[in-house]
Amino acid sequence: MLNTMPKSWNIESKPHLFCPGCGHGIILKQLGFAIDSLGLQKEITMGVDIGCSLLAWDFLDVPTIQTHHGRTTPLLVGYKLVKPKRIVISYMGDGAAWGIGLQNTIHAAYRNNPVTVIVINNENFAMTGGQASYTTLPGTITPTSPVGKPADLGSGFKGPELIRNVAHKDAFIARTTVTNPIHLLTTLKKAIMTQKENNNFALVEVLSICPTNWKTGAKASLDLASEMEKVYPIGEVK
Amino acid sequence: MTGTTKIVLAGEGGQGIQTIAKVITEVAAKQNFQVSYIPVFGVEQRGTPSVALIILSHDKIFYPRFEKADYVVALQKRAVASVKSYITEKTKVVFDSSTISIKDLPTSAIHRFGIPATQIATEQFTAKAFNLIVTGKLSQVLGLDEDHIWQKIEKLLGKKFKTAEIKEKSHQAYLFGRKFVFELKRFSRPLFQPSTDKIIIKNDEKLAQIYPERCKGCGLCIVKCPVGALKFSDTLGVFATPVPEIDLEKCIACGNCFRFCPDGAIAVEKNKKKK
Repeated sequence: MLNTMPKSWNIESKPHLFCPGCGHGIILKQLGFAIDSLGLQKEITMGVDIGCSLLAWDFLDVPTIQTHHGRTTPLLVGYKLVKPKRIVISYMGDGAAWGIGLQNTIHAAYRNNPVTVIVINNENFAMTGGQASYTTLPGTITPTSPVGKPADLGSGFKGPELIRNVAHKDAFIARTTVTNPIHLLTTLKKAIMTQKENNNFALVEVLSICPTNWKTGAKASLDLASEMEKVYPIGEVK
Repeated sequence: MTGTTKIVLAGEGGQGIQTIAKVITEVAAKQNFQVSYIPVFGVEQRGTPSVALIILSHDKIFYPRFEKADYVVALQKRAVASVKSYITEKTKVVFDSSTISIKDLPTSAIHRFGIPATQIATEQFTAKAFNLIVTGKLSQVLGLDEDHIWQKIEKLLGKKFKTAEIKEKSHQAYLFGRKFVFELKRFSRPLFQPSTDKIIIKNDEKLAQIYPERCKGCGLCIVKCPVGALKFSDTLGVFATPVPEIDLEKCIACGNCFRFCPDGAIAVEKNKKKK
């Protein structure tokens, strides 16, 4: 029989809690395929943060920890010290990784802790209603910027480029997008293997879509995500 | 209507629960009622129940919260659980009988009135006008003025009536609600519930599977199909949104719909035995 979902998905929790058309579903699907094809389902522990990403707490059929806001990475660093054979995945949004938890992300990269960080960048604070965040592009209309985000508030926060400056030279840092699921899958696989084989830090930022808060349909959402790639170039950050 | 009336409105975020509450309370206040209205949101999450507590009274209101309601209006199956505690044997429960089965209501609900708002709105007016049907009926039950309510709705929702046609249809939906007479039926099987079976379509070369119970109708698969083999059908998914149907003659089994579906609701495969 035909499978419509990865084997590592928890079928009992479907339909899941994300909005219709949410990018999280696409990313978690490719993460599921990555785990399936590497055969690591029994070795993985996932940590989820506060924000929309916490709705993934029963998404995959793997042990999952839900932590304080921005503290997923250090908690998993500690977990990894106790259980070095486990593969840990820290799954969070841009608010957690580049905002409240930026110090933790930077120091985990600086110490070259063996964790795989997946950052979902959907350009706003989605769970609280789509307010403008540091990753919002200038000119975007949000509830907190009704005439468009002013350009002097910054041109979009480039987290991976920042982390690259402090990270170990063997750390894997990349950016990918939901509009290209094949690239997404290979990048996620590489990020997991970086931790498993070389015990290095890995960080993947995924450009995602948010049809609910962008107030766009299916086509417009994907077009906007492609537009984002001009500011946030995809590929490995070197 | 005399004395104090306590009303609980319950539905899902985005159904217009708070808008209905605003319209009812503001018009009632103009008609010399003492009113109180507090919105109750759950955890800060999309798709969770949204509840409004309303009191209309001729006397002074000392405290806006209450424990037992005179009217409970439930517009969503998942919201029923959050208002269970307000229902007693005297409560009149009004529910959307096209999405909620009578079995979903608690046993303490004896006075049950079904109004198939979603069905009527989709079939006769626009799909989004279903809350206006409920507003119409509720305002008629509470004895609020017909024209005042419509003026208030126009004021609050004016921006959403983008064309004159939508506005006219919405007005008609509202008037329909005013005149609606509760039917006495068994309401055992709602018409707009998602089907739980999977849809299997196959021909000699390909096999396609669609799960309506998981599909949320986002339309990503339709946009991403390179040959235009997918389009919306009449079957309804989990959020009462249309589910795509597939034309296997056009399909080239590229797997794009499968890769992009965030819900794991669709897959197509080439038949390997034939090759």
